[in-house]
Amino acid sequence: MRSILYLLRKNVKNGVVDTFRHPLKLIVYGLLALSLVYAVIRGFTMEVDINDVLDQRILYGGFLALLYFISIPIMLKGISTGSTFFTMGDVNNLFTAPISPKKLLVYGIGKQLATSLFLVVCFSAYGSMAFKLFELSVTSALLLVGGIALMLLMVQIVTLLLFCLCSTWPSVSRYLKYFIYSLAVYALGTTIALLFRSGISLENFYTAIAQPYLEYAPLIGWVHGLVFGLINGNGTAVWVYGLLLLAGCVVSLVVFWRTRPDYYEDVLQSAENYYEFRESIRTGNMTEKVMLGNKKIQLRQTGIRKGKGATAIFFKHMREGARRSRFPFFNINTVVLLGITAVIGFAMKQFFSAPKNVTVIYIANAVICSYVQFFFSAAGDWVKELNKPYIFLIPDSPVRKLMMAGATSIIKPFIDGAAAFVALWLIAGGYPTDVLVCMLTYGSFGCLYISSNILAQRIVGISGNRGVFITFYMGIMVLLMIPGIFVGILLLSAVSADWTFMSATILGTPVLVWNLFISLMIFLLCKNLLNNIE
Amino acid sequence: MINVSHLTKKYHRFVANNNLSFIVNDGEIAVLAGPNGAGKSTAIKCIAGLLRFEGEIEIGGYNNKSLEAKRILGYVPEIPAPFELLTVWEHMEFIARAYRLEHWKERAELLIRRLELDDKRDKMGKELSKGMQQKISICCALLIEPKVVLFDEPFVGLDPHAIKELKAMLFELKAKGTTIIISTHMLDSVEEFWDKLLIMMNGRVEAERERRFVEKSGENLEELFFQITEKQPSASSKTEGTP
Repeated sequence: MRSILYLLRKNVKNGVVDTFRHPLKLIVYGLLALSLVYAVIRGFTMEVDINDVLDQRILYGGFLALLYFISIPIMLKGISTGSTFFTMGDVNNLFTAPISPKKLLVYGIGKQLATSLFLVVCFSAYGSMAFKLFELSVTSALLLVGGIALMLLMVQIVTLLLFCLCSTWPSVSRYLKYFIYSLAVYALGTTIALLFRSGISLENFYTAIAQPYLEYAPLIGWVHGLVFGLINGNGTAVWVYGLLLLAGCVVSLVVFWRTRPDYYEDVLQSAENYYEFRESIRTGNMTEKVMLGNKKIQLRQTGIRKGKGATAIFFKHMREGARRSRFPFFNINTVVLLGITAVIGFAMKQFFSAPKNVTVIYIANAVICSYVQFFFSAAGDWVKELNKPYIFLIPDSPVRKLMMAGATSIIKPFIDGAAAFVALWLIAGGYPTDVLVCMLTYGSFGCLYISSNILAQRIVGISGNRGVFITFYMGIMVLLMIPGIFVGILLLSAVSADWTFMSATILGTPVLVWNLFISLMIFLLCKNLLNNIE
Repeated sequence: MINVSHLTKKYHRFVANNNLSFIVNDGEIAVLAGPNGAGKSTAIKCIAGLLRFEGEIEIGGYNNKSLEAKRILGYVPEIPAPFELLTVWEHMEFIARAYRLEHWKERAELLIRRLELDDKRDKMGKELSKGMQQKISICCALLIEPKVVLFDEPFVGLDPHAIKELKAMLFELKAKGTTIIISTHMLDSVEEFWDKLLIMMNGRVEAERERRFVEKSGENLEELFFQITEKQPSASSKTEGTP
């Protein structure tokens, strides 16, 4: 155990020293600390009008939700015996050392909880606002923070037990997982059931999230019951939930010390996967293995079959796409877009039902979908290509190589755009030109995102610092999109005073033209990107 | 032929390669030897046209970044980087298409058979071990029938059969007049076939030897290597043994 304590001590010390060696990290931590201090001061000094004091039932339900948020993910990690409690360093150095697996498990889960504790500190700081908003006494506020600490302790003990049970008897892990899910389902189910029984209204919602049945949920409900028992001076609740927690704690510890956990093999695999995942995020090199995880890849057709020179890259991407999914250009991103479109379409058509007003829905959908697309565009085929030497070695024109490497990433948003805006037309109707312009505009934003990425890679370098790269990328992207939007707004203001008649077409056309033009220019000007791998 | 002239590569203030100059003629195998961090891989990557550098590098008489040079250059990277969703055979097809090769199938068959990949031809890159991935890199580099090949630590991760086969391939390439540079820190692995030895240390070529002169003088290369890399000043002589 002394060696583990030594390791922890050195990790903390070196972590602090390392922070001081990285000024940017230090500034971020400083700003975070300042914002937390500000939140605490603001929370305790803010003036709250008597009419603004919130309903106590919100505190009751909110605190329970927080306990669920803290505990469920950690317990689920305990269930998956391939959990991420350990790093590759732990696996290589500690697992081979003469240290009891149980002590190592305490160490691993303790590290996990340290991360959670950081989140709790953040919550607690902002929770000081709750102090005023709910008119709490200092004792009550301290009890709530103490409740969170107790929850963390209980979760650690129970997770130790779950981890040992699952590694000793793998077949029980499925049932334990169902049990943990059932805790969440129980809370949601009882809340929704009461809401439906008494009718959907805000008042009934508050009643539903504060119902005492919620405290019957093992562990999470018990901690909640104990804390609010102490706050409300309910002696029975304190005794009942206190004893239940004590019994749960004793049973868990006894079972834990009596089992003989053998989890090294499971952890080894997951630690390797987690290491690869972290490395890929750090270096920006998202490998297929990381992206697809353990998903079984179907070989289906083999052969690239088409392409000469740079175009072989495009047909290679098509083959790879067919391996990832049966419908290469239709994936989860398309489904998300269709979902967003459906929500926007159905929600807004209540308010913009007149035929000429429907155009506003198109603008709203184009703006939101184009924003969401930014997050989809991060791991395009062409970015992965830059991590291998072949694209630099292939004897073909750099512009052609760049175009062909980006082709699948360019086509995809146009297909997604077509799906989303045709779906919107089916939901809300509207002018065909609005549909066409919006789908093309959405696609043109795909081109703009890729070209911004290329330009940022050109400026920062392919192997440059990821943080600097992302800052540049986002800055460039915003700068590049401004002219098109600006001209679009000017044109719309000049043509359509009330911003309704065919607004999407009028606003979208300049944006579309500009995005395509500037993207093409960047592709042509950044051909030297493929001159070297740096 | 490879002509490296005053190659300097800097990463900010750190000089990875410092004014390297050497020539490797057609049909010659040059070995870049040196300890870890000597600058061997950086030099290989500069010659392959993957890094920015100061100085001049010519491959077969062409600037190393020109399309003409790329057409005749094969490169086997230190860390294999196969396409994870392409099969072994599709790697061959991709290279053939990208380099616009004609009549490549027979050559590809031969290469994958010699490196014992024939039973893995429908396995994807992500399903292969590191050693197998290294074999794909070798196949891809040799499929184009290069006039110049750069090998960066080619024997690391290969099984004994593959090492034997690769050595045989090196002799065949040499016989065909191909220019070869091999970077390694294991002198034993190249002792049978080297023609020119460049011992690197701290980004510089500290000693350059040619086989014919060493064979006459009876100089012990291993001793020389350790004298240089363990920083005993008496041994450092860049031109000794060269014509």
